[in-house]
Amino acid sequence: MTTSVKPNEIQLRMPSQIELLDVVDKVAAAIAEQLEFDEEEAHSVANSVLEAATNAIQHGHLLDSSQAVDITFEMTPEALRVTVHDFGPGFDVDAVLNADPTSPDSLLRPRGRGIFIMKSLMDEVSFEIDPEAGCTAILTKFRRTR
Amino acid sequence: MKVTKRMENDVAVVTLSGKLMGGPDAESVRQVIRDTLDEGTRKIVVDLGGVPWVNSTGLGVLIASHVTASNADAALKLAQVDKRISQIFMVTKLHTVFETHGSVQEALQSFQG
Repeated sequence: MTTSVKPNEIQLRMPSQIELLDVVDKVAAAIAEQLEFDEEEAHSVANSVLEAATNAIQHGHLLDSSQAVDITFEMTPEALRVTVHDFGPGFDVDAVLNADPTSPDSLLRPRGRGIFIMKSLMDEVSFEIDPEAGCTAILTKFRRTR
Repeated sequence: MKVTKRMENDVAVVTLSGKLMGGPDAESVRQVIRDTLDEGTRKIVVDLGGVPWVNSTGLGVLIASHVTASNADAALKLAQVDKRISQIFMVTKLHTVFETHGSVQEALQSFQG
């Protein structure tokens, strides 16, 4: 069997286990360091990738550990682009993207912050939802010229 | 996630160690808070010095603990919040909900003021 990988990509396939989020965190943090993001930017990347993976495990796969979450880190001179894919049915993207968990009515709700956190900390966030293929979160953090 | 509790006079110091990310660990945190309130304690410091990160599920645990304490006329304060967790508090405006202190000692002293 032959396999190939793009020279600027790192792929991670993991079972849907919350306990494994620390592995995702360590990979995200290491890649952010490799790309010389500063401390705040690195925290943004790691926090956001964790949220996307948490969503995939909890909502996409309903904690079914037999389902795989696929995470791809694509590194270019301009940006880090992270895709997090699950096989779940997806969600109402517009409703979630427009929700504001910081409003007084929502501030003390225990849930509903994951995508808001991603949107707040990354430069671009989008979702591709396909009834056949599942749900993919696409997170982009641009590299600043130093 | 390891959860321990000790009393400092009339203040319960609940110390969390590990990642706060939901699952069974989250329930153990909530249970310790509930037990503390059931015992009659109304001043609680949650020491996050051993927590390197939380996800939104972990945030939910902290919020639920805060609400549970408030509903029991108790005060729950946080100590030693990592910069990375502070970043999430800021973007979600939860820094307006939680009273945070740089150290457990500082949090304990705030109850005396």
